[in-house]
Amino acid sequence: MKALTWTGINEVSVEDVAEPQLLNDHDVILKIRQTVTCGSDLHLIGGYVPFMRAGDVLGHEFMGEVVEVGKAVTRRKVGDRVVVPSFIGCGSCWYCKKELYSLCDNGNPNPGITEGLWGQSPGGCFGYSHAMGGYAGSHAEYMRVPYADVGAFLVPDGVSDTRALFASDSVTTGWTGADLGGVQPGDTVAVWGAGAVGQMAARSAMLLGAEQVVVIDRIPERLQQVRQFIGADTIDYTAVEVTAELRERTGGRGPDVCIEAVGMEAHSPGPAGVYDQVKQQLRLQTDRPTAVREAIRACRKGGSVFVLGVFAGMVDKFPLGAMMNKGLTVRGAQQHGQRYLPRILDHMQKGELVTEHLATHTMPLIDGPRGYEMFKAKTDGCVRAVFTP
Amino acid sequence: MALTDLLNRVTTRATSVASGAGSAVLTAVQHNRLPGIGGASVTDDPAVSARRWRAVTVCVPELPGPFPELDALGPRIEVRTTPAPRDLGTELAARFPAGGSSDEIGELRAALRRTKQLIETGEVLRVDPQPHGHRKKTPQGAALEGVAQTAPREGVL
Ligand SMILES: NC(=O)c1ccc[n+]([C@@H]2O[C@H](COP(=O)([O-])OP(=O)(O)OC[C@H]3O[C@@H](n4cnc5c(N)ncnc54)[C@H](O)[C@@H]3O)[C@@H](O)[C@H]2O)c1
Ligand SMILES: [Zn+2]
Ligand SMILES: [Zn+2]
Repeated sequence: MKALTWTGINEVSVEDVAEPQLLNDHDVILKIRQTVTCGSDLHLIGGYVPFMRAGDVLGHEFMGEVVEVGKAVTRRKVGDRVVVPSFIGCGSCWYCKKELYSLCDNGNPNPGITEGLWGQSPGGCFGYSHAMGGYAGSHAEYMRVPYADVGAFLVPDGVSDTRALFASDSVTTGWTGADLGGVQPGDTVAVWGAGAVGQMAARSAMLLGAEQVVVIDRIPERLQQVRQFIGADTIDYTAVEVTAELRERTGGRGPDVCIEAVGMEAHSPGPAGVYDQVKQQLRLQTDRPTAVREAIRACRKGGSVFVLGVFAGMVDKFPLGAMMNKGLTVRGAQQHGQRYLPRILDHMQKGELVTEHLATHTMPLIDGPRGYEMFKAKTDGCVRAVFTP
Repeated sequence: MALTDLLNRVTTRATSVASGAGSAVLTAVQHNRLPGIGGASVTDDPAVSARRWRAVTVCVPELPGPFPELDALGPRIEVRTTPAPRDLGTELAARFPAGGSSDEIGELRAALRRTKQLIETGEVLRVDPQPHGHRKKTPQGAALEGVAQTAPREGVL
């Protein structure tokens, strides 16, 4: 079958690869209907997570149709149209029972790598390097999904493939940030990043009752999407001073909850940006934490900052003093999709959560390399490139 | 130190056996001391480390055994189970009281992880064989393959 693979730093290709097989009794095989680029792939493709092997199949946000089921699968059957979260949860370890699925004890068969890096191993993720289990990703015609009874969710009738697709990663991630960031009815929530993840964090915050939601980015067409499809306010950080703007909009307090959806390749104008980029290139820091710093600075006293953007290692100039003295709660997570998917799909069915506008470019899988180029350079208004294998 | 640097450093030294190089990378990652970070928990005294109890917490109220994966490591191994606090389940611990080699301890880690998975999920998760494209023959790639091969036996457990 055809699959899109990582072939070297800033290089992806479409190759002929073997078809996947059932390896465990709780597995299913999906025929992929739609699969999409994610900001996390950019960190992998650019070599910021150095555990990619040439030939690894990329992709972790996807939906498809069940075509084969393992012996022990009870809830899914051939023909089911399903969406699957990118993180793999077994459903029976303590973390899964606490609905912290991305921390699953059993989902990463290579725990030695992340235990060494971080002192503990989080769960595994599809198409996300050998540090996260080395699973083949979804940019392929077929894909194996382990623990299918826990991870494969039926897409309700009336929810289109493209709407459901983003329930796999963008929406579930955004919801994780809004929920675990502690959004309460009446809150003001600021979100850094107007990519699919930031947009969905903003929409999730609204569905959880936030009164005022503001999204910060610099790309005009993304900010336009936020206003038009999400119904949130926007700030262009290249035009105004973000913290001053947020103070003015919150009676001088600052946002109650700040959600960072930018990640380790954050852009920043001016000398700080050059400083971080040089340090990252010299490998003195692995990640550029611009938006995290700004969120900590802007957040109201006693508020909460949630880091959804992916970071891999060390950062420099972390405002620990502001965090400590302002009594902030700083938290992060990979998404706990299995926990939120039923509610998300319900909102999708009722039309309260729409995602189709994120699919700015749809193309056959063989055009994947072009899709990634556009997505990386953010040209032609590309927010996400969707592939139809 | 940056991960890519580490990988580069180790791979330029890496010689023949891929898994040897992989194990070296993981050891380096685990013993990597960052300025201001002690790293004491992973830079354990080798003599203490060889005898230390290694434990997983299994999310079940009782663990009656037997534990064939651990028994397979032979009679030099000692096993104990203890109730974990709250709803966490039961701690399953094992060690080589007279000290184990680093290979033996690697096998012990992998056996503990497999035992936990079998009890919690009824299966040991596999990833191979699975689809992949052309594997370029580069020293970095070989080392990374070694890393992935040894990772089930490595870590801080
Ligand atoms: N936690 C999880 O489970 C999870 C899941 C998916 C993605 N992610 C991460 O979320 C992040 C966003 O993903 P995405 O797919 O939306 O990526 P994306 O690249 O499409 O969007 C990132 C956006 O951030 C903006 N940005 C850059 N610097 C900024 C700054 N200083 N201030 C404000 N905005 C800035 C960019 O202009 C861009 O629009 C990535 O780091 C990704 O790895 C995390
Ligand atoms: Zn993602
Ligand atoms: Zn689990």
